[in-house]
Amino acid sequence: MAATVPPPTHVAKENEIKIEEKIDYLNLPCPIPYEEIHREALMSLKPELFEGMRFDFTKGLNQKFSLSHSMFMGPMEVPSQSTETIKIPTSHYEFGANFLDPKLMLFGRILTDGRLNARVKCDLTDNLTLKANAQLTSEPHMSHGMGNFDYKGKDYRAQFQLGNGALFGANYIQSVTPHLSLGGEVFWAGQHRKSGIGFAGRYNSDKMVATGQVASTGMVALSYVQKVSEKVSLASDFMYNYMSRDVTTSFGYDYILRQCRLRGKIDSNGCTAAFLEERLNMGLNFILSAEIDHRKKDYKFGFGLTVGE
Amino acid sequence: MASRVALKGKGKSGKGSKASENRSTAKCLKEWSTWAVKKAKVITHYGFIPLVIIIGMNSEPKPQLSQLLSPV
Repeated sequence: MAATVPPPTHVAKENEIKIEEKIDYLNLPCPIPYEEIHREALMSLKPELFEGMRFDFTKGLNQKFSLSHSMFMGPMEVPSQSTETIKIPTSHYEFGANFLDPKLMLFGRILTDGRLNARVKCDLTDNLTLKANAQLTSEPHMSHGMGNFDYKGKDYRAQFQLGNGALFGANYIQSVTPHLSLGGEVFWAGQHRKSGIGFAGRYNSDKMVATGQVASTGMVALSYVQKVSEKVSLASDFMYNYMSRDVTTSFGYDYILRQCRLRGKIDSNGCTAAFLEERLNMGLNFILSAEIDHRKKDYKFGFGLTVGE
Repeated sequence: MASRVALKGKGKSGKGSKASENRSTAKCLKEWSTWAVKKAKVITHYGFIPLVIIIGMNSEPKPQLSQLLSPV
């Protein structure tokens, strides 16, 4: 008779664990902004590869304000109709000014050929942010500008976008559980007479992030990032366009070590790339970039130095 | 009959003038907004970086003008 009674402590422990796992649906965390849903995968798989020599110098005048001077010398790819890639050696100097405040961020870069790249981020209230982004050139009809209004709610974010060429867009993302957030977007481009709708989802835990996105323009994008340890993460990405039957998949790694950051990837288009940022000294970084495209027989190697924060 | 045709003609021109007035105000508005956007683009193109520099030079602690121009 005594043997058939189960020990009460075992049942009590199971109940405790169940209570801890019970999700408080009214207190979910705020989700990642919709356009950054693939953020981890993009950071690991798409470093800023370049070809040629790059030198960046950032000079801080005070905590909030800094100027930057950047020089680039190397071949630039010119889009061509044939399968051969045409490269033209170019060089440019870019001057930039940044102002960073908790409430206002201004970022401007101007090139020697007159192109301006400007970004503004302003916190109008605690929850409402205005972001604007413009690329202006001296050539007519080649400039673009876009402005977004972001509203951050308790466990959701909503964004409204306005762009030139009568581009309107809106997106919304909501936390459904502490690990899962789902969102959707719609856009309408007046100039090209196109409109589209898309859905995205993101599941993240401490060790991994999985995202998926589908759009009516025919794009399906899935990505998965696994954090293998504090210093290493592996990422993979799958992109499929069901209108143009284009498939691309890539695998990559991201090593964040004390003195350097090494990222490498291999693609289904026959492209392998690696990007190394090595910290030589306080404020001095050495950059190496390599990209080998076996299919197009295009080999790009670049090196550079970054001085300043 | 000629008077009827003349009356009809007057009626048509009356309606036509109202419609053309509406169209011309819409056109005027479109022209002005295009002119305003063009001017705003030129102002932004030339004035954005100087604006950032002015805001930065007036923020605390105020940096010196020599720091702006020297390469160190």
